[in-house]
Amino acid sequence: MTTEILAVALKEIRQTRRDPRTLAVLVVAPLMQLILLGFAVNLDVTHVPVVLADADQTAESRAFAEALLAGETFEAVAALPDPEAAAAEVIAGRAAIALIIPPGFAAALRAGRAVDVQALADGSDAQRAVVAQNTLTAFAARWSLAYSAATGQAPRFTQAPVEIRPRVLYNPTLNSRVFFVPGVAATLLLVVTLVVTAMGLAREKEDGTLEQILVTPISSEALMLGKVLPYGLIGLFDLALAVTLGAAIFGVPLRGALPIVGLGGALYMLTTLGLGLFVASAARTQQQAFMGAFFLILPMTLLSGFMSPISNMPAWLQPLTLLDPMRHMVEILRGVLLKGASLADLAPQLLWLAGMGLTVFTAAAVALRKRLA
Amino acid sequence: MSAYAVEVEGLTRRFGAFIAVNDVHFQVKQGEIFGYLGANGAGKSTTIKMLCGLLTPSEGRATVAGRDIARDPRGIKRVIGYMSQKFSLYMDLSPRENLEFFAGAQGLRGRARKIAVEAALNRADLRDRSGQRAGDLPGGLRQRLALASARLHAPSVLFLDEPTAGVAPDARREFWREIRAVAAQGTTVFVTTHHLDEAEYCARVGLMVDGRLKALDTPAGLKATHAPGRFLTIEGAPKAAMRAAPGLMAVEPFGLRLRARFEAAAPLADPARCAAWLADQGIAARVERAEATLEDVFLALVGVEVL
Repeated sequence: MTTEILAVALKEIRQTRRDPRTLAVLVVAPLMQLILLGFAVNLDVTHVPVVLADADQTAESRAFAEALLAGETFEAVAALPDPEAAAAEVIAGRAAIALIIPPGFAAALRAGRAVDVQALADGSDAQRAVVAQNTLTAFAARWSLAYSAATGQAPRFTQAPVEIRPRVLYNPTLNSRVFFVPGVAATLLLVVTLVVTAMGLAREKEDGTLEQILVTPISSEALMLGKVLPYGLIGLFDLALAVTLGAAIFGVPLRGALPIVGLGGALYMLTTLGLGLFVASAARTQQQAFMGAFFLILPMTLLSGFMSPISNMPAWLQPLTLLDPMRHMVEILRGVLLKGASLADLAPQLLWLAGMGLTVFTAAAVALRKRLA
Repeated sequence: MSAYAVEVEGLTRRFGAFIAVNDVHFQVKQGEIFGYLGANGAGKSTTIKMLCGLLTPSEGRATVAGRDIARDPRGIKRVIGYMSQKFSLYMDLSPRENLEFFAGAQGLRGRARKIAVEAALNRADLRDRSGQRAGDLPGGLRQRLALASARLHAPSVLFLDEPTAGVAPDARREFWREIRAVAAQGTTVFVTTHHLDEAEYCARVGLMVDGRLKALDTPAGLKATHAPGRFLTIEGAPKAAMRAAPGLMAVEPFGLRLRARFEAAAPLADPARCAAWLADQGIAARVERAEATLEDVFLALVGVEVL
C-alpha cells in the first residue's frame, strides 16, 4: 500500500513542479489574494468624507468643526458656504456627510440655548452611515460638555445616571482586518485544495491516464491518498504562510498555540480534498469539475460566518452552518489567533472537522471505486 | 489452471438499449497472438475493457489467466498488461518517470522496480531519451514506451487495443516484430486492429460485426471457409467477358485489373487456360494466380467493405 501511495504522490509532485500554472494556483495566487483581500476587506469606518457648510463663521463654529475633523473618523473634502450646495455634494457621492452649522450657532451657545447642527448622511452604505451618525452624536455631547466647562456655564448636557462603559476584548481597537484575515486564510485553503484536486483527477480522466492506472492492481484508497497527500502538504504550507503574513502585515495577533491551527487545517483539508475527489468522480471533464467546485465554494464561504455573523442568519439556516467545514476552520483560526483558545475550547470544532473529513473522504473513495470499477 | 489464457462464455455488455457486445464465446490459447478484428463500434474495445476489469459485463462470464473477471478483478490486474487505443501515459513526464510511476502502481519496489524500469527503457530504445518529455517523442517511440510500460510487471496476458493506430508503416512493422517476440517468450497477446495485413500476423482471428463474433479461425482457415475457390488477377479483359466464364464464382474490379474467384475444380482456375479461353474470344489478357486475402473474407461475411 505504501509503495503505491508514494508512487502516486511522487508522480503528482513531479507533474506539479513541471507545471508553472498549477504551482502559481497553489502558492502565488493564495498569497496575493490574502494580501489584496486583507487590504480590501475592511469594515473599519475611517476617513469619512465630510462636506462642511458653516453658515455661522464664528470662532465657536470653527472650533467645533476643527475638533470634529481632528480625529481619524472624518475628513473634510470641501467647505461650502451654502447648505444646498453641501447637500448636492452628498447626492453626487463626493461626500458621505454634509455637516450644516446654522447661523446663530455661537450666539445660541453663548446664551446657553440649545442649537441644532444638521448632518445629512449618505445611507447607501448603511454601515458607514450608522457609525458616522453615532460618532457625531457622541462628539456633539462631548464637545458641548467641554464648552460648558470652559465657559463656566451650567452644563446643559448632564451625565446620564447609568453609563455603559464598553470594553472590547481580544480586539480592543475593533480592527476588522484582524477579524477577516483568518477568514480569508480559510477561504484560500478551500479554493486551492478543492479546485486543484478536482481538476487534477478530471484531467486524468480526460487524458485516459486514469484508465491506465485502473488496469494496475492499485486500490482506490491508495490512489486517493497518494493524490491528496502532496496537496495537503502544500495547503499546510499555504496556511503557515497566511498566518505569518497576517501577523506581519495586518497585525493579526498570535495568542494561542499554532499547532492547533495546523491540526485544524489538516482535518479541514480532509474534507476539502475529499470534496475535490468527489466532484472529480462525478465530472467527466475538467470544465465540469471546475463548475462543480465553484458550486460548492460559494455557499461554503457564505455560510461560514467569515463575512457576516452566523447569529444574523435566519434561525432555520443556523444549524445548517454546522455542516460547513469552513465555519469550523474560521472559528478555530479566530479562536487560536485572536483569543488564545486552547485545544479543549476548540474540541467541538475539531471533532466536527474530523467527523466530516472522515465521512467525506470515505464517501469519495466509495464513489470513485464505483465510478471507476 | 486452465489451458487457455482467456476463456469467454456468453459475454454481453449493454449500454442502455444498445448492445455493444452480444453473447460472445471464444478461447485464447496460452502464448497465442489472438487478433480481434472489426469496424469502429463493433465491440472490440468494449470486450477488451471487460477482460481488463475496466467494465463489468452485463451477462456471461470470462476468465483471464484462470481468474474470473467478476470475482477477482484485482487479481487479474496483476497478471495483465493493457495498452489503450489512445496514448495514455503522462505527456508531461519523462519516459523514466512514467515507467517509475506505473511500476510503483503495480506494487514493484526497490531493486525490482529499478530493474524493471531499466529493462523497459532498453526494450523501447529510450535509454538516450529517458529524460525527455513523453509528449515530445515521435509517435512510434511513444507506442513502444506504452508497450514497455504495459509489460513492466511481466504480465502473462497482454491486451493491446489498436496499438498501431496512427503509426507510420515502418514503425508498425517494427512494433509487430516486437509483439511476435513477446509471444515467442510465452506471453499471450490479445490484439485488436483494423489493419488486415496485421491480422495476418495473428495465429487466430476473430471477426466482430455489430457486437457479434461472426467468425473465428486461423487466417488460412477463414479464407478456406469464407472465401473458398481459387483467385486470379486479370489485366486487359472487360468484366462483361469474364462474367461468361464457366465455373466463375465472383468477379470484382481490383484497381485497373479484375479479380476473379473460380470454383476450385473449374478448369479455368488455371491461369494459362483462362488466358487461352480469353484469347479464343480475341481478348489478349494477362492472367496471374492470386491468393485469397482477409479482405475477401470480410466481403464474403459482411457483404460490404467495412474496414
